[in-house]
Amino acid sequence: MVLLTMIVRVADSLPLAASMQEDEQSGRDLQRYQSQAKQLCRKLNEQSPARCTLEAGAMSFHYVIEKGVCYLALCEAGFPKKLAFAYLEDLEGEFSEQYGTKVPSVSRPYSFIEFDTYIQKTKKSYIDSRARRNLGSINSELHDVQRIMVANIEEVLQRGEALSALDSKASNLSSLSKKYRSDAKYLNTRSTYAKVAAGAVIFITLIVYVRFWWL
Amino acid sequence: MRAVLNHTSLLPVSSTTTGSASPVPNSYESLEGGSYSGTSLQSPPFGYNYPTMHPAYQQNPAPKPDPSPSHGGYNPPGYQPYSQPFPSLSELSSALGGLGGVSELEAETLRPVNLLQERNILPPKHTPPPEPNLSNDLRKVNCSPDTFRCTLTNIPQTQALLNKARLPLGLLLHPFRDLTQLPVITSNTIVRCRSCRTYINPFVSFLDQRRWKCNLCYRVNDVPDEFMYNPVTRSYGEPHKRPEVQNSTVEFIASSDYMLRPPQPALYLFLLDVSHNAVESGYLNVFCQSLLDNLEKLPGDTRTHIGFVTFDSTVHFYNLQEGLSQPQMLVVSDIDDVFIPTHDSLLVNLKESKELVKDLLNALPGMFTHTRETQSALGPALQAAYKLMSPTGGRVSVFQTQLPTLGAGLLQSREDPNLRSSTKNVQHLGPATDFYKKLALDCSGQQIGVDLFLLSSQYSDLASLACVSKYSAGSVFYYPSFHHIHNTAQRQKFQKDLQRYLTRKIGFEAVMRIRCTKGLSIHTFHGNFFVRSTDLLSLANVNPDSGFAVQMSIEESLADTSLACFQAALLYTSSKGKRRIRVHTLCLPVVSQLSEVFAGADIQAISCLLANMAIDRSISSSLSDARDALVNAVVDCLTAYRANGSNIQPSGLIAPAALRLFPLYVLALLKQKALRTGTSTRLDERVFSMCELKSQPLQQIMHMVHPDLYRIDNMTEQAALHLNDSVIPQPPLLQLTAEKLTREGAFLMDCGSVMYLWVGKCCNETFIRDVLGFPNYASLPSNMTEIPELQTTYSERTRAFISWLLESRTFHPAFHVVKDDASTKTSFFQHLVEDRTESAFSYYEFLLHVQQQMSK
Repeated sequence: MVLLTMIVRVADSLPLAASMQEDEQSGRDLQRYQSQAKQLCRKLNEQSPARCTLEAGAMSFHYVIEKGVCYLALCEAGFPKKLAFAYLEDLEGEFSEQYGTKVPSVSRPYSFIEFDTYIQKTKKSYIDSRARRNLGSINSELHDVQRIMVANIEEVLQRGEALSALDSKASNLSSLSKKYRSDAKYLNTRSTYAKVAAGAVIFITLIVYVRFWWL
Repeated sequence: MRAVLNHTSLLPVSSTTTGSASPVPNSYESLEGGSYSGTSLQSPPFGYNYPTMHPAYQQNPAPKPDPSPSHGGYNPPGYQPYSQPFPSLSELSSALGGLGGVSELEAETLRPVNLLQERNILPPKHTPPPEPNLSNDLRKVNCSPDTFRCTLTNIPQTQALLNKARLPLGLLLHPFRDLTQLPVITSNTIVRCRSCRTYINPFVSFLDQRRWKCNLCYRVNDVPDEFMYNPVTRSYGEPHKRPEVQNSTVEFIASSDYMLRPPQPALYLFLLDVSHNAVESGYLNVFCQSLLDNLEKLPGDTRTHIGFVTFDSTVHFYNLQEGLSQPQMLVVSDIDDVFIPTHDSLLVNLKESKELVKDLLNALPGMFTHTRETQSALGPALQAAYKLMSPTGGRVSVFQTQLPTLGAGLLQSREDPNLRSSTKNVQHLGPATDFYKKLALDCSGQQIGVDLFLLSSQYSDLASLACVSKYSAGSVFYYPSFHHIHNTAQRQKFQKDLQRYLTRKIGFEAVMRIRCTKGLSIHTFHGNFFVRSTDLLSLANVNPDSGFAVQMSIEESLADTSLACFQAALLYTSSKGKRRIRVHTLCLPVVSQLSEVFAGADIQAISCLLANMAIDRSISSSLSDARDALVNAVVDCLTAYRANGSNIQPSGLIAPAALRLFPLYVLALLKQKALRTGTSTRLDERVFSMCELKSQPLQQIMHMVHPDLYRIDNMTEQAALHLNDSVIPQPPLLQLTAEKLTREGAFLMDCGSVMYLWVGKCCNETFIRDVLGFPNYASLPSNMTEIPELQTTYSERTRAFISWLLESRTFHPAFHVVKDDASTKTSFFQHLVEDRTESAFSYYEFLLHVQQQMSK
């Protein structure tokens, strides 16, 4: 069961099209997954793997990046992975044919929201079990689907946070060491002054001693 | 005991936000639509002419040519373009003082008028609303009064001063009005104040190139880099020339920060009553035909969905799935626990299932012709509609023809016909059950708007039913005693209303917030909506024909500012799936003198706001209480004026010229169906009139309250308008009294939603022959509802005048030709508000009554 579909431009994570969630039967709270999907899209860049599955508890996100556009679907964890990717590739083919050239120039969010109609229809054909049988041909092409990277959504979303935590810790450390260095310098100079002062006192005492006692 | 209209529950204005714009510096995209060549989009009236100001007017009401009915105006000669790059507030205020003409104008609006002596106080032309006393540059960019009006165009400095004037302070808005020109702005950053979230507008001041000061909370904000570039002139470094800062009405394309979910598609569900009573009235034919004709014109894109549900004692659904050979009807007879038989084929894509929809619409009128079902399960049908629509939201149009008698939300008849004309209290103005209100609130939460069409000849408890639209931001339409054959006027009106209703613009999942200058606070809202979080109006649907009113109070003194500003921002999803924000900003001067407050009073706006307040009062308290409060509003205000001006002679009833129509409008309000007593009024009609007063825009209410009367049998080309080689005669407005009618004439009365052409017994036969197409008075039928298109100059001139009156109107009025001796005569004469009726004062009597109250 595909619960949520989003098509996003990778460069600036601008949403291009999306399918309304259908929660009338399940009554599931998709709000959380939706915001996770949004965060995920913000994390994506050119270096991200082109296809990936992210596990998020009872659900999993599948995405495909093709020509700077990310196709993201939220499915139940039990939904066959190959079907999910076949579905995303189907969307990719149709979307890039219809709107591919216009993608870099748009600035308004959900500029191609009318693609929703196609998404809805495709989704239905993939959910329908009778139609699944007809998808045998696609299935064989997707034999290597097992090799698609699997990661956990929490990890991906927190990866950036961990890095930034490390970064802040490192900078913290460096500023601390700087402080230590300046403190040490200060202590050094102080002790030098103390030594010089002590020497001077002894010297003066000596002179006074020589002056008054010897002469 | 003197009752003053209540100023209840002073709620503080919080500054919660609908979203935040992320400042991502990026390139501009081109701006869509409209040119921004200096002039503002609507050319609001600059400077105006009060014909009554002319000293010679009292004896000689010579009409002055004016180019348009209600929204005309001219540029005052010799205005100079303001070329200062960064006008700061102090400069703006100094510019205010330097206008000599304005003070003259003020003197004119303050001219004392003795109402008891001057009979001809009605101007012969529509007067534009008073112009705020601002510098030319601010005036030029200010919001059009058709969209945004304030009851006091000079805002008093303190609450104490406002209390002294005894006038209500409030705003009247028509935010989603159809506009011919609207600057649409696409940019990555929508510039807003960081603390109060005000959108940047023409009345902010730029401290320097990089900083601007908010005109509502006075916070200094940075100008983002993107804003430095002006896409209109393609120049850099001129933030004050951007369209946002040049126009007070703009529309922004919202970024995804303003969306909680992807923009919803347009969804239309029609809920049709098919009981015996409904079939008998024949509305189904009219509805189906109208929808068939307008199917292509329904606002939307390829995602538009449509669905139908019919109901009598059971609820029927229609499966219109693409691929079926004909529509399938699914009957749910369990009305105690309604369920949706199948989920994805009841609301179908209009484009894909168009043939099936057409088949259904062709078949529907015939399907129930022999029904014997007299019950109506409206409540369960509404619950079904809610369940069907709740995943996405959209618009539900309910057509109901009788009292709901089955299932949840059933109602009993509460009207006692014997009490229709009682002078005592009117009962049952409020809802009998909270079922409809609760349902409406649920709908509002799921972004479903419910519009109600009530076509019934019998009492249907509109007071309860209307709640379903009131709280879900819908509209209410009422066609009393509708019958498709016997009542042609109603049928034509229904047809034309449907035509407009189906094709008009619509906004989905909308919210509106009104912000005002620090120190002012909004405390009461009027209109159809649900108030979420103190100042956020939740509008499941927004339509271009609804108006809103708000009441304000002055919390802190405005002494340290010379300008007060108001901003209404409406965030909505268009039928094409675009999320947009429409922003209107109004700027008004702040004054410290009582006389200036009186001089700036906008009497039409005051009357409309008072009407709204009176209706609230009549529901919360009682009708007689509301009527007393209205009379006291006049008495208090005139007393305050008398106490203020010591140099006026004590005799007579003195009002400032700006308020000279106040007693007349209040009297007209008291004679409205909504508020009158003593004249037989059906409860449903009364409640409908209340709904209209609460939800219509100002122009429409004014037509309703004080209709325009013209004599049209002797229209000359003198002072006529010449527009696109058609000549439009301009007969003067007449007072609403039978004195002005003569048996020799023909008179047109324009009441907004209905027009009467009254033909006198001895009307000249040329008029009857050339315009109405009948040889003489005796042969005129008593139920004429149209003016025939005859090829005579006389006829052409008359039709040109009538169509000119209708030009700016969105709903077509019903038209009645009334013969002097016909039975329909009373419906015409009830609008002559200056005349005495058996239960109400004449205008002169009312003035005496006011005077008497004042001397108490």
